[in-house]
Amino acid sequence: MHDIVDLEGRGIPGVFVASREFVEAASTQAAALGFPDVARVFVDHPIQDRTDEEIAALADGAVEAVLAALHAE
Amino acid sequence: MNDAQLPDGLVAVVKADCPTCAMVRPVLEGLGAHLVSEDDDDGLARSYRLGVDTVPTLLRVEAGTEQERTVGWSRERWEALTGVDGLGVDLPPSRPGCGSRTQDPGVADELVARFEGARLQSRRVELSTYEDDAEAMFERGWTDGLPVVPPTETRVLRMLGGTTRAPDEIVTVVPPDLVECTVEKVAINAVMAGCKPEYLPVVLAALEAACTDEFNAHGVLATTMPVGPQLIVNGPVRRRIGMNSGVNVLGQGNRANSTIGRALQLTIRNVGGGRPGGVDRATQGNPGKVGLCFAEDEEGSPFEPLHVSRGFAPDSSTVTLFAGEGPRGVVDQLSRDPESLAGSLAACLRTVQHPKLARRYDAVLVLGPEHGRVFRDAGWDRVRLLEALDERLQLPRDEVLRGAGGIAEGMPPDRMDDVTAKFRPGGIIVVHAGGGAGLFSTIIAGWANGTTGSQPVTREIVP
Amino acid sequence: MRVLDPTAEHAPATRERAARPASLDGHTIALLDISKARGNVFLDRMEMLLRARGLAVERYAKPTFTKPAPIDLRHEISTKCDLVIEALAD
Repeated sequence: MHDIVDLEGRGIPGVFVASREFVEAASTQAAALGFPDVARVFVDHPIQDRTDEEIAALADGAVEAVLAALHAE
Repeated sequence: MNDAQLPDGLVAVVKADCPTCAMVRPVLEGLGAHLVSEDDDDGLARSYRLGVDTVPTLLRVEAGTEQERTVGWSRERWEALTGVDGLGVDLPPSRPGCGSRTQDPGVADELVARFEGARLQSRRVELSTYEDDAEAMFERGWTDGLPVVPPTETRVLRMLGGTTRAPDEIVTVVPPDLVECTVEKVAINAVMAGCKPEYLPVVLAALEAACTDEFNAHGVLATTMPVGPQLIVNGPVRRRIGMNSGVNVLGQGNRANSTIGRALQLTIRNVGGGRPGGVDRATQGNPGKVGLCFAEDEEGSPFEPLHVSRGFAPDSSTVTLFAGEGPRGVVDQLSRDPESLAGSLAACLRTVQHPKLARRYDAVLVLGPEHGRVFRDAGWDRVRLLEALDERLQLPRDEVLRGAGGIAEGMPPDRMDDVTAKFRPGGIIVVHAGGGAGLFSTIIAGWANGTTGSQPVTREIVP
Repeated sequence: MRVLDPTAEHAPATRERAARPASLDGHTIALLDISKARGNVFLDRMEMLLRARGLAVERYAKPTFTKPAPIDLRHEISTKCDLVIEALAD
């Protein structure tokens, strides 16, 4: 998340993607960095032991939300 | 629990880690005294509210109000306070107490913040444990490029102790955003600058002076010229807060000199919204813009103090604001008579902003003590020196006209008499400062003067 | 640590998002891999999806997920790209 915060500071809109395990930690981390509203999208956990096809499916499911976070309404 | 909630009778404030408290415990029990223990949070808070700084403290309370108190153990005083004889017969006649826990460094800060913090109205900003404190200041854009001291509640409350003025009192309206600035906001920026509480009244007076129409802080900030607000301090405050008027007076190393001007700059930046690249458009600027503040050496001066020459009482403390650029040195190691030295100074003053420009700019002449001695030995006062400079700064038309000497810059022909004075009347401010060795003085060129420019302003410093 | 705000308090105390473009057309998107296992698979698919929409994509990877990206990498992203997607934390 530090990288997104840094790049946002340089005027580069950013979003990070994490598994749902990270919902709480992301919220805490965002508040800690003084940036509670940083853009983030969550995908289903787990990641590590999924097949390539399952991970591709996670990306398919997330892409709309990811792109929406990068342009204005 | 406030004072009114004290139980009637005898109340004793004690702590566990105090041999005297332990020693008098049986006496207190015999008296049926109500014990306030500093070892629990509630007791500590009560002790703070009672202003206890030594334990044991024995108080006599009537109708919920303290009537009298005594500190430490003394049979005589305890018998007088309680009206009971024969106390502690097996104890020594007296024994001093120990420091109250309210005085322990960390504890004191916490209690101050807890009880006094409500007086502060500024928004609180939480820095997380993940953030480095110093980096957090930079990242929020609160610094001038150098590190600042994080303005915690405790530090700001301590800073506010340096003035009798209330935190919510409005000091002035600060450009460019024209924000009403409170004493509290100045205190926050003074903490960040590294000031001590006793410097705060100087910063407040400087801010008031800077934000007058005459000084024209907005103009000084927004100009492309290199100037910034500079502070000259006079009067008893100089010694009281330990300012430097001697060796390296315009340089680094003295906390008061270095931080007071910086507090003004940070306030204008953070409260007023005036920062480089924004409203501040200086082409090149000067290093003094981080803050330049110094004290006059009045005691060694051949002349009356600067503030006296500007109409203030000698025993008043003042700050004079001047819109100045980077200081330039004057070398004259050979002049032994005042005329010759005045000639050197005038020759260098002629180059203020440009040797072919006149009237439009003021200057500060910081006379070094060895140069000052030349004038003292000749019996010259300030007026005499200024007259001598003025005589030598009458610029001939054909030297200063635009185009003269193959230089396009210069005075427009229609505004020139045969001779024109380089400076307007009162356009040179002479101040005496510097170390005792070295035949040098310093010139600080100013910004545009007059009603559209900036005029020097002197303001009294009040506690 | 809690500090007092030294400013006139016109701006929010927290950081806000950088302005977003009205549309993604013509923008270059950086895909930044934090280098945890399997993240590259996710980003490979993301890259394919974005290219299929006609968007320009650049791929980057941090040396390790345990620290922020090196300053040179952040600088490069900020000069070559206008938008960034960082993935995949688990």
